Amino acid sequence: MPLTFIDIERQKSWRIGLFFIILLLMYFSSAMVIMLVAFGDIFAKDFLKGVFASFYIFIFAAVLVFVHFYLLSFGAAQTIKEKLGAADPDPEDELHKRLCNIMAEIHVATGKKRKMACAVIPGQAMNALAVDDFKENALIFITEGLISRLSRDQTEAVIAHEAYHILSGDCRESTLAVSLFGFSMPFIEKIMIYGGRAYIFSFILFKLGYLLNLFISREREYRADAGAVRMTRNPLALAEVLHLLSKNWRGTGLIGSELEGLCIVNPRFNQLDELEGFFADLFSSHPPIRKRTEILLAMTHASITELDMKRRQGESDHRPKETERKYYALDAQYVWQGPFSIPELAALPWFSTLTWVSDGSETITKASQIPVCSEIFNARIEQAEGKTTDYLCPVCQQHLLKQHYEQTRIYQCKYCGGTLVDSDKLPRIIIRRENAWSEKIKAQARATLKENQQNYIIHSAKAGKNKIISLRCPKCKGSMWRTFYSYAYLVEIDRCICGAMWFDKDEMSILQCMIENKMAGEELGAN
Amino acid sequence: MVGLIVLGCIGLIIAWGIVTFNRLVSLRNEVQNSWKQIDVQLKRRHDLIPNLVSVVKGTMEFEQDTLEKVINARAKAVSAGSVQEKVTAENMLTQALGKLFAVMENYPQLRSNDNIMQLQEEVTSTENRIGFARQLYNDLVAQYRVKQEVFPNNIFVAFFGGFKKEVYFEAEEEAKKAPQADISIRRDSSH
Repeated sequence: MPLTFIDIERQKSWRIGLFFIILLLMYFSSAMVIMLVAFGDIFAKDFLKGVFASFYIFIFAAVLVFVHFYLLSFGAAQTIKEKLGAADPDPEDELHKRLCNIMAEIHVATGKKRKMACAVIPGQAMNALAVDDFKENALIFITEGLISRLSRDQTEAVIAHEAYHILSGDCRESTLAVSLFGFSMPFIEKIMIYGGRAYIFSFILFKLGYLLNLFISREREYRADAGAVRMTRNPLALAEVLHLLSKNWRGTGLIGSELEGLCIVNPRFNQLDELEGFFADLFSSHPPIRKRTEILLAMTHASITELDMKRRQGESDHRPKETERKYYALDAQYVWQGPFSIPELAALPWFSTLTWVSDGSETITKASQIPVCSEIFNARIEQAEGKTTDYLCPVCQQHLLKQHYEQTRIYQCKYCGGTLVDSDKLPRIIIRRENAWSEKIKAQARATLKENQQNYIIHSAKAGKNKIISLRCPKCKGSMWRTFYSYAYLVEIDRCICGAMWFDKDEMSILQCMIENKMAGEELGAN
Repeated sequence: MVGLIVLGCIGLIIAWGIVTFNRLVSLRNEVQNSWKQIDVQLKRRHDLIPNLVSVVKGTMEFEQDTLEKVINARAKAVSAGSVQEKVTAENMLTQALGKLFAVMENYPQLRSNDNIMQLQEEVTSTENRIGFARQLYNDLVAQYRVKQEVFPNNIFVAFFGGFKKEVYFEAEEEAKKAPQADISIRRDSSH
């Protein structure tokens, strides 16, 4: 049977009342056990023996438990507020003012039955929760991230959801569960470790009390969604919020694990939460977001795909179109130039595939990563060389050119000067000695070898056996890994399982130069 | 024995009568109270409108007609007496305000004025509060009407006659449009 909101709303919450009583019983019995064991140990040995002694101890323990209960449950809202680092809304902040207005609106919608206040949790996270204690302090917490990123209607839906938790009374029950069981848990665990077996009973009771809270938490989220819709008459806004929350950081780590059950969506991503069925119903604190969204959307005759489409449309609206966008480019002197439009960029004499380009946002990419630029480069190379191969340069994403080198075939990138060589052709290249090496290459070869010899020792000391995945193989599209050519000739190259090898600019010349001049032994000897 | 049963039945009927009467009375009071709540919010709206008009007057001098309509509608709403009159006048005012906001969109210089933005937020909030108060009122009226009209109660109500039917606060046609989905992340959160 499909669970509609009206059905959920109609189910009177006798369960909440029952669990409330059981929760209190569990707390008092476990706390009494702790007190009795503790005082029994301390007092009973020396004085006050007999029946009256145990009676006095019982009374004393009961008083202490009640004091503890009073302290925890009556000031719970304030304690949680301090724990979260939340503050009252700032009257000078416009968004906070809007929040206060929305609170007042919801207050009107509820018929002004309960006084409620709100508090803002600083930070980027997106979540909201409500607490309610015996002092009639009802507080709705909402994170700064949520206030800033939601529209008016959406914020209203969130506040209405939390307000319903408070109105229906389940909020007080869960607040109590959190403050009695959640906050005391570390303490109980500690005394169980140091205090011995006598406390295990109370520990079990505590755990059970905590679990009990989970049993009803799913249902109350559904009910609060229903209540929110009844108040705002806007199921779409709430569906939008849930969908948005499911795709963003909800404050894992910011909101303590004991408060998870109070939040509108679980801050921690929990596999169990997204499941349905008996087991998941019992032990997860929140219903699947997808299901909640679907129920809400069914009321507006919309679907999740539509929401996703709208979201994507909305995001692309904010971004200017590709052709109108302006870019900044880093020149040879490492100075940012710009802004340029795409044609202006292409006309720059120093603009190449390896130029760092930014579109003004935080991301900086190589020019070859931008599709429009990549097309320009492709067109250029085709114009200049006529025929290109199907292989793409793993660095620049441009087509490689077939070239003859030392009388064999290699593939070279015109832009970055990198070369693709098959593993069976490399020995031929090394054996054939046609080229004479310039002083520059020789110096580079010596420096590379020396530096890598030192680094190699450090590397092997760290026992870094992990493959460093770097580029995509132009031939088989698998990943290549970065490695030395050999242990004697320490030139870094990229290898692929298919046998292809990638040399960056001059790396091949350096390798050839090393081998032909027998540099390995020479340098090792010098060391 | 028979006498006892008859007596018991009469007792039950009287008890039912008392319970029904009390429920009706408390509902009637809630309806009246929620009407008062609407009044509070409407007063808030009436107080805000002169401020709004005086602030936008300078910039929107070519829209005298729209402003005039708002001012007139407000005057009518303030002086309205009966519930029915009030409902009509307020609906007219809502329409006039909607028109004003639509026209304000054409004046970008208004958006850069902090004062106006704050005022607009206040007006939006007030409109929402009126909406919610009206919603609550209508819900309660519906409940009250159902209580009056279901079977044994209608005889009871006709017999006593102290419970008159309350009027719904109906929304104007324009507000019945379906909402549009929008979950894009807002960069400008000014409204």
